[in-house]
Amino acid sequence: MAQYTRANAWNHGGTFANTDLLWYAKGVGVLQTRKLSDPSSWWFLAAIHGEYVADKKFPGWKFLPAPPPVPVTPLATAKVWSLYKDQCQHQSWFFPPWHRGYLLALEAHVRAAVVQLGGPATWALPYWDYLGPANQNTIPPAFTQKKLPDGSPNPLYVVARYGPDGDSNIYIPTAAIVKQHPHDPDFAPGPVTDHCLSNDLFTGDDASTKPPGFGGPVTGFHHGGQTSGNLENNPHNLVHVYVGGSSPDQQTYGLMSDPGLAALDPIFYVHHANIDRMWAVWNKKHPNPTDPKWLNGPTAGGNRKFVMPMPDGSSWTYTPKQMADLGQLNYTYDNLPDPPAPAPVLAERLIKLGAATAAAKVKEGGTVVTDQNTELVGATEKALSLSRTGAAAAVRLDPGVRRKVVQSLTQAAESAAPDRVYLELENVRGTFDASVLSVYINLPDNAKPADHPELFAGSIALFGLSRASLQDDQHAGDGLSFVLDISKVVDTLHLSKSLDVDSLSVKLVPNREIPDHAQITVGRISIYRKG
Amino acid sequence: MTYDTQEFARVRSLMLLTAAAAWMLLLTEPRAMPMIVPCAATGAGPMPSSLPMLLSMNPPGLLAAGWALMLIAMMTPVLIEPVRYIRMRSFTHRRARAVLLFLGGYAAVWMATGVVLLGSAFAVEAFAPQSYLPAAGIVLVALVWQFTPIKQRCLNRCHALSGLAAFGTAADLSALRFGAIHGLWCAVSCSAMMLAPMLLPGGQLVAMATVSILIFSERLEQPAVPRWRWHGFGQVIRILVAQTRIRLQSRQIDPALSE
Repeated sequence: MAQYTRANAWNHGGTFANTDLLWYAKGVGVLQTRKLSDPSSWWFLAAIHGEYVADKKFPGWKFLPAPPPVPVTPLATAKVWSLYKDQCQHQSWFFPPWHRGYLLALEAHVRAAVVQLGGPATWALPYWDYLGPANQNTIPPAFTQKKLPDGSPNPLYVVARYGPDGDSNIYIPTAAIVKQHPHDPDFAPGPVTDHCLSNDLFTGDDASTKPPGFGGPVTGFHHGGQTSGNLENNPHNLVHVYVGGSSPDQQTYGLMSDPGLAALDPIFYVHHANIDRMWAVWNKKHPNPTDPKWLNGPTAGGNRKFVMPMPDGSSWTYTPKQMADLGQLNYTYDNLPDPPAPAPVLAERLIKLGAATAAAKVKEGGTVVTDQNTELVGATEKALSLSRTGAAAAVRLDPGVRRKVVQSLTQAAESAAPDRVYLELENVRGTFDASVLSVYINLPDNAKPADHPELFAGSIALFGLSRASLQDDQHAGDGLSFVLDISKVVDTLHLSKSLDVDSLSVKLVPNREIPDHAQITVGRISIYRKG
Repeated sequence: MTYDTQEFARVRSLMLLTAAAAWMLLLTEPRAMPMIVPCAATGAGPMPSSLPMLLSMNPPGLLAAGWALMLIAMMTPVLIEPVRYIRMRSFTHRRARAVLLFLGGYAAVWMATGVVLLGSAFAVEAFAPQSYLPAAGIVLVALVWQFTPIKQRCLNRCHALSGLAAFGTAADLSALRFGAIHGLWCAVSCSAMMLAPMLLPGGQLVAMATVSILIFSERLEQPAVPRWRWHGFGQVIRILVAQTRIRLQSRQIDPALSE
């Protein structure tokens, strides 16, 4: 039996009657009394994920509203600071293992404080299952109370946590909740889902897995990681942005909306415990990569090692290989259901396309088909700027490649699977991370997006956008890119004779009004076929 | 679209083979190198009047061809990522054309840079013939340059991948522009160290290979916030050490791999 069990934060109503939360609050309180220069402080541990300690304006840590009162001095020695800070792995297949090790280290520090205060030596982080039943999509109340039961300030309470509507009401818009919150027809909150659990590939794509795969794209010698993995994109990124949100005047955003601020908010670790749990759930049926480049981590490509400070003052270096099996780490979760079977996407498509006999023969959940080529079908002809209500653009299609797609859909069979079609938002840049964009194809003018689920391509959150847009940072200013599987939408258009046209319109609908200063642009919207 | 391992492998193989062929040519035919052949007159000491003789012994056409060959040998490996990017983001029927335009833009900038660098080499040969001093001077400049934040800024720009149009003339122009901009930052980043081998009285090929590995190594580093830090062989050494360790560990786990 594992020594540590992470349990649902909503146990005992998500209040301080849940002792996991009470001890978490007290432990965080201890860590927050320490100086920024102390590797065991809350602030230093947050900086390991990402930081803006020296920035001269928001989101510089100096300009964040309290609580918590975030320090920007004293700094650790340059050697210690550069060893640990800014390690977070995003848009990479290292996303799940790096964050697992990060949680373990944070947990060790909090647990040491908990034990010091007389708490249980087996204390473990709770997780927030926002996709759970009843009202679990709302933040556990322990995070919104200003005081602990003993009347002292609650270290779990954070001012800069604004929620999806900017009113500090923190809830996660799951598919069911979106229906319960009618919004202005100009906007469309994209639903948080666990669809990624139906993927069958950690990296790569097939009928059940859209690129770049459940865990993320290969990163290593090259630095092509602009696209989040499917677990990272939804639910991870969306939950970050919905919880953090933006301030009522939209001049700033919440801590959770930006990777350089997010780990200052105690809800971060409870969110990531759930993401880690989802990885463990997925692993019950699907393997992790066996490629040495993944197993050995970025050091195999000559890059930084994963390293964490531990409570005894030591440095702990780890690899994805060591993080691959939760059981071996002496950890478990109180709820690890089997993941859903890979969705019978291909069979459903074949039926829809009128090839029912072929659908019956299809064996779903296959491996990567290696002889398939990816090919550009069409693209926008100029960059796109998003206004307050989003943007719309025409994706011009190349007639020759479009005919290939149409032919593939017309002649779909078990031996000639229909093309998979992907939409990519390339080089998305801007200065405002706190937006979720829902993407629709050929949405009629003046139509309410929610009335056309058949034209809905998916949702993306701009978590990490501002940093990725800096020319002199890890993304070299390329911004973020997002891939959405639009095969089903394309099938619908094909059947309604709307595909064999010169262009398709793409509409980007934000969850809230985008402030003017956000300066969000999309370099190019492209459509690709794979077949 | 998103990273495609097969496409990356295809492009990498082609580019590395091209670079290897250029190196073979340089190894087997030393006259193909863009080095200033000294004349007997300059061997006696500085002599501006020997410039016409130097020019007659080093026809510009031959030097330009040698410079182009040197670029192919040294720079092809660092163009794998942008070429892969262009191919993936272009229509299939435009891929070759887009890549050629990119390479054209890139080469144009480097050929223009070559005029300046070869001109400098000419001047040095005329005024300080067969001396190691100018080479030592430029190596010193290059070493300092390798530390500066501006160097990091240039490397960051060399990693930038964006701004390709898909259709018609706009696509052609954007590929050409991408190549020129990429070449410009590459030239600013590497010119000082590219000049060093040409100023050496001997051992140019070894120096070229050293510089080539250095350029490849620093290009494997991730983009970063500019600050004073050394850009050397560290990245390529770290990769070699890590890969060796991984292979040794694999063989210990699975002895069949060592057979």
